[in-house]
Amino acid sequence: MKSRLRRVTEFLVWSFAALVLGIGSAWWAVKKMPSGGDSIQVGAWKANTRAGSTDADMYTRAGIAVNALLALGRSETMYFVATTDDAGKPLRSRCTYRVSGAPPKARWWSITAYADDMFLFDAPNRHYSLNGTSAQLDEKGDFAFTTGARETAGLHWVPTPGDRGLVMTLRLYNPEPSLQTAPSSLQAPSIVAIGECQP
Amino acid sequence: MNDLMSGRMKTLLIFIAAVVAIHFLTIWAAPRLIMQVVMNGSRAQALNMQNRAAFSAPITAASRDVVMPSPDMLYSMCVFDLSKGPVRVSANPGLKSYWSIALYAANSDNFFVVNDRQAGGAPVDLWLVGPESKSAVTPTGSKLIASPSTQGFLLMRVLTGNYETEKSVVEPARRTLRCDQP
Repeated sequence: MKSRLRRVTEFLVWSFAALVLGIGSAWWAVKKMPSGGDSIQVGAWKANTRAGSTDADMYTRAGIAVNALLALGRSETMYFVATTDDAGKPLRSRCTYRVSGAPPKARWWSITAYADDMFLFDAPNRHYSLNGTSAQLDEKGDFAFTTGARETAGLHWVPTPGDRGLVMTLRLYNPEPSLQTAPSSLQAPSIVAIGECQP
Repeated sequence: MNDLMSGRMKTLLIFIAAVVAIHFLTIWAAPRLIMQVVMNGSRAQALNMQNRAAFSAPITAASRDVVMPSPDMLYSMCVFDLSKGPVRVSANPGLKSYWSIALYAANSDNFFVVNDRQAGGAPVDLWLVGPESKSAVTPTGSKLIASPSTQGFLLMRVLTGNYETEKSVVEPARRTLRCDQP
């Protein structure tokens, strides 16, 4: 009787461990796994070239479903995601960043700030992004904006209140064919931390 | 002693096989389960969008239906269910700015998209049939689209750089979307 009880207990323990490891490793794979062969990185920006595609592998499909559900294929829209600044440091919402660069080669573009749960920050001014319509270009033809807890004078400000991970997404609608063919030819917008982070 | 070692080795191998199987099953099932929630969850039920177009409010920080919503897009959607026959999708936004209608299979794949440039100013008229459909009759003027799954999701995006100033134009435009089972 004791032996039987022990066997049942062992079975339950092994089964529970298998569930935790199986589901945990799958979760790690779609949230944290280093980029595979279909991924590219330009500056701080990463993209999966098969996002939204019908020939996506199962890991890409699962990753898109969890992190960017209902994405479009790259002939329609290209998505680049940044979770670090140009120096490779993880983006934090309590820090101020200057994001700047040349307008990407696409019919229309936007850069949106998301919290690490992939939803929008509760921005009091309702500025969640900078886009091809709202961007003011300087004399060189470049755009610039800041994210963070405090506004920077003279620049479009996307507030990111609180202290948590920050994710920026660059969307390119109807990207030029040259960019579709060679996504790594993107002139990546720079993301540079300004000053000290808010305590 | 050898029997004990052999028994433990067998247990370990079964354990590793179970972990691998659960891992792959989770990766495979995740997009399908998430799509099921999107298509049949409480939000979908509330919007009553089974073979019927629904028009969600402009995106704000309170929007929590789908991850990574674009604040620059106005979304309209419908869940198409082809189990009882084809579904006709039509729209005539008549906008010069970007819009698109994308179709997603039950595994989350984007299997079809048409945008304003491809439509060339003409109305969109799609005749959606299921993967097992034998129907060869497509209404005149409609484009036949075979869905890889019986149920799927339609998402219409309409660009709105400034919703408040463009509201009077983009709202009537997106409300031309129809999603009907004849």
